[in-house]
Amino acid sequence: MTEEKTEDGPGLKGEIALPEEEDVLAPVVPGGLDQAHPSVPALRERFPDAFLRHEVTGGDEHVVFVAPDRTFEILQWLKEDADHFYNFLSDVTAVDYGGGRPLQLVYQLYSIPHRRALRLKAELPLSELEADSVVPLWQAANWLEREVWDMFGIRFRNHPDPRRILMPEHYAEGHPLRKDFPLRGRFSRAEQTRRALSQEVEDYYVPSELGPGREPQLVRWRELSGAPKATAKPDVDPTPEDGGGS
Amino acid sequence: MSDNHEAPRNDPPEGGLPAGIFGQGSPTFLTTKLDFVVNWARRNSLWPMPFGTACCAIEMMASAASTHDLARFGMERMSFSPRQADVLICAGRVPYKLAPVLRRIWDQMPQPKWSVSMGACASSGGVFDVYSMVQGIDTIIPVDVYVPGCPPRPEALIYGLMMIQEKIRGETLALHGELRREPPEDAGRPNADAVTVEALSLPFGNSTNQNRASGLIHPIPQERPGDRIP
Repeated sequence: MTEEKTEDGPGLKGEIALPEEEDVLAPVVPGGLDQAHPSVPALRERFPDAFLRHEVTGGDEHVVFVAPDRTFEILQWLKEDADHFYNFLSDVTAVDYGGGRPLQLVYQLYSIPHRRALRLKAELPLSELEADSVVPLWQAANWLEREVWDMFGIRFRNHPDPRRILMPEHYAEGHPLRKDFPLRGRFSRAEQTRRALSQEVEDYYVPSELGPGREPQLVRWRELSGAPKATAKPDVDPTPEDGGGS
Repeated sequence: MSDNHEAPRNDPPEGGLPAGIFGQGSPTFLTTKLDFVVNWARRNSLWPMPFGTACCAIEMMASAASTHDLARFGMERMSFSPRQADVLICAGRVPYKLAPVLRRIWDQMPQPKWSVSMGACASSGGVFDVYSMVQGIDTIIPVDVYVPGCPPRPEALIYGLMMIQEKIRGETLALHGELRREPPEDAGRPNADAVTVEALSLPFGNSTNQNRASGLIHPIPQERPGDRIP
C-alpha cells in the first residue's frame, strides 16, 4: 500500500499537533462546568456536605457524586422541587470497577417538563453495600432495585419486595455482575444442574408474578394449589469477604 | 362389504373373490410386519413441540413456513401442548432457570417421543460458557439428534428431523418397553449422574476456575469446597 499525501493535509507521517485529551472532551461552557446544567449548582448549594464532586462525560452528560447515606433525601428533593422535577426514573443500576474499589450506585433521572437528564452516583464501600430504596418516590424503582440486589448485592432498605429477580430465588453462588464473581459460577456444573432442577418452576411463572404493581403472592398460591413447599432452603449468600478482584 | 347392494361390482361373484381396491379379483388385505406399519405411521405424523428460546427459533419458524414447508414430512402441526407432541425441538440457549421447565415439558410428553437439540447453544452451551447457561440440554433431557449451526439453516433442521424418521424406521415394538421405559422417579431429575454432567461440560471449561489459561483445570471432576447442599 503506497502512502499518498493529500494536498490540503499532512500525510500519515506528518506531524500533527493534537490538542490535549481533556481539551477535546471537556465542553466549553462560559462560567464553568456548573453553569451547563441548572441542577448541579442548585444541588451544590442545597446539599453542600453531601455533594462530593461533579463530572461531565460523553460531552454533555452530567454526573453528580453524592454521599451514599443522603441519596434518598437528595433524590426526593430533585423529584419534588419545581425547578428540577425529575419525575421520570430512567434507570437504577450499579457499576463494579473491581480491585476493591467501591461499587457505584447509579440513578439515571429525567425531567419530562424540563427535558433535562441528570445522573446521580453514590459510591458504596464493599463493606457496607446498603442504600435507601427509592420505591416511595418512583414505583419504577421496584424491579430495578431488585435487579441491582440480584446482580451486585446492594441491599435496599425499606424495599417492599427484596427478592432476586433474574437469578433463581435459591441461588446461592453470589451476585454475578460483581468483578470477584467467577465467570462460570462458584459451583460445579453438576451441582448447578442439580440445583436448577430442584427449583420450583411455579415460583416464577404464576400470573400474579407477571402483573405489575402486585403484591407477591407466592405463599398464598402454594397454599391454594396444594403444591408442596420448597425443599431447598434459600442459603445465605456467600458474599466473599475479600472485595478485591478475581 | 358395502351396505349398498345396488352396486354389483362390490358383490362377490360366483365362487370368486370380492372386488378389492385394484379391481375385480384383487385382494382386500395385505400382509406386512407390524413394526413396519407402526413405524410408517409414526414417522410420517411427527408433531413437533417447539421449545424456542432464541434465534434458532426464528429458523424453526422459517422451516415451518411455506418456502421450506415442514408439513411435507408429516410435521403438519406445531403442537404447543406437550401432551399431543411427539418430538421436542429445543431451539436456542437454555439458562439454568429454564432447565426445570424444559425437563417438565419433556416429562409431560407421552411415549413414544424424540427430541432434537437445535443449534450450538442447545447442544453444548455454545459461546455461553457462563454461570447461567446449561452446557448442553443432554444434561437435562435425552437427545436423539443434534443439529449443528449457529443458527442452523431450515434445511439442516429438516435433515435432522429426517434423521429422526430414519431412526424410527429402525425401531421395533419388541424393544418398546425397554427403550421407552420411563421410571416415574426420574421425572424432574438430570439426565445423567454428576460425573457425566461434569464430563459433558468439561471440554468447555471448568466451572470454578476462571479460565483455561490459569493452569488450574483438572482433567477429572474435583471435589470443590464451594459445593454445598441446599
